Amino acid sequence: MHLVLLGVSHRTAPVDLRERLDFSSRDVGAAVEALAARSSAAESVVLSTCNRSEIYVATTADPTRAREELVAFLSDYHELPREVFLPHVFTYDDAAAAHHLFRVAAGLDSLVVGEPQILGQVKDAFQVAAGRHCTGPLLNKTFHSAFGVGKRVRTETALGEGAVSVSFAAVALARKIFGRLRGRRVLVVGAGEISALTAQHLRSHGVADIVITSRTAAHADALAAEVGGRAMPWGEMTAAIARADIVITATGSQRPIITRADVEAATGRRRADPLFIIDIAVPRDVDPSVSEIEQVFLYNVDDLQNIVQENLARRAAEIARAEAIVAEELARFTAWQRSRRAVPTVVALRQRFDDIRRTELQRLDTRLSGLPPEARARVEEVTRLIVEKLLLEPTEQLKALPDEETQAVYTEAVNRLFRLGEAPDDTAAGDAEPFPTDRAREP
Amino acid sequence: MNVLPLILYAAAAVAYGVHFARRQPQAGRLATTLLIFAALAHTFVIGMQTMEVRHVPFANASSATSTFVWLLALSYLYLEITADERAMGVFIVPMLAGLQTIPAVSPGVERIDPLLDSPWFWVHVSSLLFAYASFALASVLGLTYVVQFKEIKKKHLGYFYTRLPSLQTLDVMNERAVAIGWLCLTVGVAVGAIWTGQARAVAPDDPNLQAMSLNDPKIFVAVLTWGVYSFAILARQTMGWSGRRAAWLSALGFAIVLLNFLPINYFVTTSHTF
Repeated sequence: MHLVLLGVSHRTAPVDLRERLDFSSRDVGAAVEALAARSSAAESVVLSTCNRSEIYVATTADPTRAREELVAFLSDYHELPREVFLPHVFTYDDAAAAHHLFRVAAGLDSLVVGEPQILGQVKDAFQVAAGRHCTGPLLNKTFHSAFGVGKRVRTETALGEGAVSVSFAAVALARKIFGRLRGRRVLVVGAGEISALTAQHLRSHGVADIVITSRTAAHADALAAEVGGRAMPWGEMTAAIARADIVITATGSQRPIITRADVEAATGRRRADPLFIIDIAVPRDVDPSVSEIEQVFLYNVDDLQNIVQENLARRAAEIARAEAIVAEELARFTAWQRSRRAVPTVVALRQRFDDIRRTELQRLDTRLSGLPPEARARVEEVTRLIVEKLLLEPTEQLKALPDEETQAVYTEAVNRLFRLGEAPDDTAAGDAEPFPTDRAREP
Repeated sequence: MNVLPLILYAAAAVAYGVHFARRQPQAGRLATTLLIFAALAHTFVIGMQTMEVRHVPFANASSATSTFVWLLALSYLYLEITADERAMGVFIVPMLAGLQTIPAVSPGVERIDPLLDSPWFWVHVSSLLFAYASFALASVLGLTYVVQFKEIKKKHLGYFYTRLPSLQTLDVMNERAVAIGWLCLTVGVAVGAIWTGQARAVAPDDPNLQAMSLNDPKIFVAVLTWGVYSFAILARQTMGWSGRRAAWLSALGFAIVLLNFLPINYFVTTSHTF
């Protein structure tokens, strides 16, 4: 059984091509079913996010044939000539495919390294396929190992820690000052893209109230509608500062619009509750000396950028640790795969030994017939135990061989030594119970 | 007998340190588990001593320290579990281990003056010990608040920033700890005063009782402590002294408590044997 991966990602394909190969805008479940219906692969999973479209299949056929089928499927399903996307496609087999999936699940292959959504998306992709009975032993194991990798990387490294955008950095700071943001009041001065984003993040953390004021009232109204806040006249700004816990400023003013006197007047009324001012404007909107006021925390856009840079650097420093986890889990996965490959040989070997045992017992049947039933049962039991003990060590060894080549050599040797491929010559074990055929057929 | 809790406290302290430095959730869970076992072992030890001498063992400085450590461990565990915040353990638990060495090394003789064998005495001592445990927690919370405040204010988001809870959480926990401590301190001092009056009627010539007045350094410092914490609570309510000021006040208060517990206890008190 081979694991085959074929797909495009932000590393190999431009966004317009990724859009045309996207499954997630249509029904991913239907895509998996369509693939399963026409391909020779026994198992399939489609992983589709805005940064990648990847198809994982498990097939008993030759990987080259499976790849050919996948290309044809992509071309037909998206009605796109293969020449268009073929140069941007990447493909991996077996351990390399698992390695890629593990890195994806860990967030190592993401546009922003360590971003947390991807693990959930991988889980969803698997659930969709599993729910339609399109997965089997190989993909089940591969994907569950990938979830394990994602979880380990998340808990054992700091790969996903620290905000990596200005707006998230501002929200993270607010949370460090206020704890939970539920019930806090926000004032937005001047409508801009980053202030809108920050306000939206704050809203998703449950702030009670977002007030927006702008020199141009229409801008304030528009932003208020966008983030679910309310607009307020420009002239009431100072009073609004007194009521706010978090102030975001982003006007195009050339001179500071919030002076130390403004903030002192506002904080005088509010006693000692902290006031967090985020000045995203360039040039700055808030007089820097405002930060000298005891309960005021003032951050400008450079301060936030610095935090982002530090966090990115910290994430980069964690990449090696995350890759090490991936490598560790991959070794475990390939060992599992190899042990599965040894299964047919092991089964055949056991069957051969058991056949011999039964034949010999039959041969002795007449001589043993004089024994009481318990003693006969004992003989049966002892011979079975001897066979089991003899085979225990070779079985373990076959399953634990370090690489595929060695495994092939050993399998071949065992097959020859015990003539496993051939029909046994003198063992007319007519009443020997055959092994369950489904187990014997296991890859 | 006090050695087993000491070993467990020390092990928990190490685990809290590892958890704080490396931020591994497993280390954190191990730390809490060890601390729970330490507290259980300590409960057992104190229970056995109580059975043996027929009262909670705090009639000398060593056993009082042991009881104090036990109460502090329980209050810290309560705080950790209710606030779901493990970061403070790295400051508190080493303190537990350090203090627990006193009863572990020199157990002291649990002998009690018949004059002290009154329910008042037990209320007096246990509420004061509990007050001091709360103040210890409050001061640690206050100091970490100051560290965290400085990092955010200076825009230097370093080692502690990623590890400590939010300023708001620290401030609220500090407020709670001070309030509980103040309540217990008030009860402890008031009961002490009432009981002195009663005891004087029974044994007018006892020299210790003669010395029970504000002139005794121990009593004076206890009242001073009460004053500091009363001011902290009042200032928070009326003048908005929360955050950094409240944090410094709780640290100051506990410094005075320590002064009372250690040097004054051993050298200058006239009325109290500990």
